[in-house]
Amino acid sequence: MAQPQGQMILRDPALFYWILIPITVVMVLTGILRHYATILLQSTPKKQDLKAIRQQHNLLRGVNLRTNGNHISLDSMVSRKNFLVQQYQSGAYLKNPEAVGQPPVNPMTDPAGMDQMMNMVKGNMAMIVPQTLIMGWINAFFSGFVILKLPFPLTIRFKSMLQSGVNTRDLDVRWVSSLSWYFLNLFGLRPVFTYILGNDNAADQMSQQMQQMNPGSTANMFGPGQDPNKMYLAEAENLEVAAGQHEYVLEGIEDRMRALV
Amino acid sequence: MDEEHELLINPVVQESVLHNTKTISDLRSLLSSLLGIAAGTLGLESYAGFIFYFVMSAFTSLLMGVFLAGGKPKEYFRGGWWDLLSSDLIGGLAGYVLTWTLFLGLVGV
Repeated sequence: MAQPQGQMILRDPALFYWILIPITVVMVLTGILRHYATILLQSTPKKQDLKAIRQQHNLLRGVNLRTNGNHISLDSMVSRKNFLVQQYQSGAYLKNPEAVGQPPVNPMTDPAGMDQMMNMVKGNMAMIVPQTLIMGWINAFFSGFVILKLPFPLTIRFKSMLQSGVNTRDLDVRWVSSLSWYFLNLFGLRPVFTYILGNDNAADQMSQQMQQMNPGSTANMFGPGQDPNKMYLAEAENLEVAAGQHEYVLEGIEDRMRALV
Repeated sequence: MDEEHELLINPVVQESVLHNTKTISDLRSLLSSLLGIAAGTLGLESYAGFIFYFVMSAFTSLLMGVFLAGGKPKEYFRGGWWDLLSSDLIGGLAGYVLTWTLFLGLVGV
């Protein structure tokens, strides 16, 4: 039964208008809906009190000094470094000075941590629910026939997955059912969403999954589970080391400028 | 030490890098969908279709390098030509396959 030029099935062109286009339109619309729903569902960030903010920002000040210290002269950097190191070691910026030496706060009980976790959970729900709904809808209405021909061949193992509901032995794997059109849309509409909704849209499934896999990159530095005093002491040591390796950027600037001219 | 010194004098600014990458990303998303339409209309099949995608992608990256980056992509990207060519190819591939399949079916059985 194998024909060398591949199997052809004559299809009614009305199939396209009634099946392919509606599925795509529905997926695009749910994507946009999900994006705006995620934005609306996010709770406003909690206002932190003055001491907490001061604690956070002074640590950042130390980090900035270390990173950009080469842009200021050695005297300026050393005097800044001395001041900051002395402040860190005396614990002048800590939020609760009497909590030094106690174990870090449990994320389950700290209210700031709960906020972050709730946001993540809401994001996940907003992603999973529409996908499940659409898959159920497609299985209910669009099952039992093949609709589309894939441009490239696949192995036999994909047959059961892509041709769900049509169990024939000889039909080419290139003929697929509408569920696989759903999957194609799922992966392939990402560029369209990026184009319509701007760059960091919530309808983008893969970037969300990647964000979940590196939680350290987006987590708050002073979130639950960190001990501020230890971080200050570590930063003080880093500053000492950085001051020893200072290389002023403007040294040799006269030669460089003469070379440009 | 030499590379650190180089970085000191010509620093890599985070926002600029992000903006450049975003530009390429946007162009590439649009490009993949349009290339899919072209491939479907032309009636290309398996291997020919994929080769078409990669060749046209490379051609457009070349155009981007010449017109957008002024012929010197090394000043705009750390990797130079390689960054222009290979950023976001796999995501673009998904969009390409989508429109390719759609138009292959629409244009002629």
